[in-house]
Amino acid sequence: MKVGVVGVGHGKFGRRSDATVQELAFEAFRAAMEDVKNLERKDIDSVIIGSSPEYHKQRSLPGVITEYIGMNDKPTWLTEAACASSSAALRSGYMAVKSGLHDVVLVLGVQKMTELNTAEIQSLMGRVGDVQWESIYGTTFPGYYALYANKHMDTYGTTGEQLARVAVKSHHYGAQNPYALFQKEITLERAMKSPMVADPLRVFDCCANADGAVALIITNDKLAKKYHDTPVWIDGLGSASAPISVLRRPDMTSIPSAVAAGKEAYKMAKVKPKDIQVADVHDCFTIAEILAYEDLGFAKKGQGGKFIDDKECYIGGKTPVNVDGGLKSKGHPVGATGASQTTEIVKQLRGDCGKRQVKGAEIGLTHNVGGIGQYCFVHVYKR
Amino acid sequence: MELKGKSAIVTGGTRGIGRAVALMLAKEGCNVAINYRKSDKEAKELVREIKAMKRDALAVKADVSNFEDARKMWDKALKKFGRIDILVNNAGINWDGVIWKMSEEQFDTVISTNLKGCFNYNKLAANHFKNQRYGKIVNISSINGIRGKFAQTNYSASKGGEIALTKALAKELGKFNINVNCLCPGMVMTEMAANIPQEFLDKAVDETVLGRIAHPDDVANVVVFLCSDKSRHITGEVIKVDGGQYI
Amino acid sequence: MPFKYFGKINYTPYTKVSKFADELQKGKLVGSKCKNCGEKNFPPRADCLKCLSGDFEFIKAKSTGTLVTFTVIHSAPTGFEDMTPYTLGLVDLDGGGRLLSWFENTKDKDIKIGMKVKVVPKIFEEIEEIKLYYALEKK
Repeated sequence: MKVGVVGVGHGKFGRRSDATVQELAFEAFRAAMEDVKNLERKDIDSVIIGSSPEYHKQRSLPGVITEYIGMNDKPTWLTEAACASSSAALRSGYMAVKSGLHDVVLVLGVQKMTELNTAEIQSLMGRVGDVQWESIYGTTFPGYYALYANKHMDTYGTTGEQLARVAVKSHHYGAQNPYALFQKEITLERAMKSPMVADPLRVFDCCANADGAVALIITNDKLAKKYHDTPVWIDGLGSASAPISVLRRPDMTSIPSAVAAGKEAYKMAKVKPKDIQVADVHDCFTIAEILAYEDLGFAKKGQGGKFIDDKECYIGGKTPVNVDGGLKSKGHPVGATGASQTTEIVKQLRGDCGKRQVKGAEIGLTHNVGGIGQYCFVHVYKR
Repeated sequence: MELKGKSAIVTGGTRGIGRAVALMLAKEGCNVAINYRKSDKEAKELVREIKAMKRDALAVKADVSNFEDARKMWDKALKKFGRIDILVNNAGINWDGVIWKMSEEQFDTVISTNLKGCFNYNKLAANHFKNQRYGKIVNISSINGIRGKFAQTNYSASKGGEIALTKALAKELGKFNINVNCLCPGMVMTEMAANIPQEFLDKAVDETVLGRIAHPDDVANVVVFLCSDKSRHITGEVIKVDGGQYI
Repeated sequence: MPFKYFGKINYTPYTKVSKFADELQKGKLVGSKCKNCGEKNFPPRADCLKCLSGDFEFIKAKSTGTLVTFTVIHSAPTGFEDMTPYTLGLVDLDGGGRLLSWFENTKDKDIKIGMKVKVVPKIFEEIEEIKLYYALEKK
């Protein structure tokens, strides 16, 4: 039995001081319901929420959201894996459908980050590492990835300019994405002159905190065509965990869970890295995207910088990556990012991306990392 | 022996309380360095007595109210002994007079020797002790720093100041495993006291409930206790050794 | 000395390895050793990954190591704003284990990946509360 995505609904990402977390969820839910046909609420068997609860004043989100979108009394629960929460939720949904327990599952990634101020967010996000032995030294999330960046630069000669080029690409495509937070192109000069956040990562190397929600409706191959003409199949799933702490990451130039998750997904979908025609990877920082090129096998180890220099990750290159603007342009509502990546790949495989369409794309991939790689979920999609 | 292998500095060590403290510390196992102002002969004699106990000893002529002098003395002692564990700040003078007859010089000199001198040596000790995460500081004040004494506005001020300094310093140094305490003797039979007219000595005896005046060793014994491991949980404390002279 | 005294801001006041703070206050760095199978760890941990035993003891850790990587934090989390910019270093300790800390008394231009560093036990001196930590210095 195959499991496919038949409905996607993407809300507007940004500083959403105009809405509560359940109102944001409803936007995405409404959009997904408009995307499908012949589906009524009662046909949905469960609601799985992907979110990182620490950022909200509202406790226990699944109950609140499921009630607000009118899905009582269907079962609901939270799947949490930091920044990979909604990909984890998608994996949970896949398992529910594949097992035959549920026929149609609604996966909702939702997050409000901006209820907290910047220093508070830095503190909370930084505490995804080892709180006992690292947070006492004022570690931050950009700080952790900066440790990776410096090591990658020292080992492979990657430059700050190459990092900035990733940001330029993100903004180039984000400018064409109506759901993105930042819809303006930037120059290389501007990126390289932006203030330092955690050396060598500058403001333009870092994704922005944002609020937002994305909904996905998945079902089995018996029902899929009833709800959408072009279901997109989740053909390969890979997931792995890694030590939470940099104190236990011998190789500081690679995210081990991404390598493992990628391998598993490729194997299950019976494809190789070069077969991926469009990918959406976890670019919480520009260095994370460069690491992803290497970890997923799009570029050889150490050649991630060259991959962006040669524009292989642009449309027209070997493997277009993040042509929806990535986390960098869209913003990063932690719980919703995974579902946003899935939405982009689904639309690409449907042929619905207009100016940003990768022509003839039939095999796509999403790569969603939680924290500094303690969680990673890779999905391979086929049309 | 309570203080085997330790090294101490005692200011004003050639006479009275200071001398008794120096000898008692040596008896309990310390190497001792003392400073003195002018009694070369007494200083030499004290060094000889301490060395006879098989301890190392050093006498340095230094003006306690001068920080540079104090620093030089501290460095000399540290070089000689290899380490310093204890400071007993004892050097003190009095220069009595009712306030309307007290000159500025009278006031300044007593404050300078008693309080500034205390600051100088306590500062040097703090700097050194916090790096080795161990130290004992005992400041010798007086019950006249707790109560006021007629014709001693300068002396009482300086001794009261020493008490407050001790308490503030105890808060700064506790985390480094350093104890800072203050002793307040009453009348002690020293050379300084020998100049006091008999009637005042008698009055002092009457003030006590024990009917006696302290011997310098009565103070020295408490100093030893405060420098030993037995008092490791006492810091920022003010202990009177006055026979009940001021209750 | 309670473990809550460890760190500029401590988020884990209670732990089975709280004696680490006692030793740090005395100026010593300690790791752990499983009493059952001998497996060593730095930072110390109570529960052995190899044999699952919870029976451990503290052992002296080396205070020197090699710098794996580093970064300079400019945008600080709550409670560390008064320190920016500060340089965090990830160190492979001689004798095994890794630690993360910040640099003190070392010029930025001297900080290079692969350099030898020493780990120095410290106490925040100019505040009333007791806060213990260790810092990195160029060896």
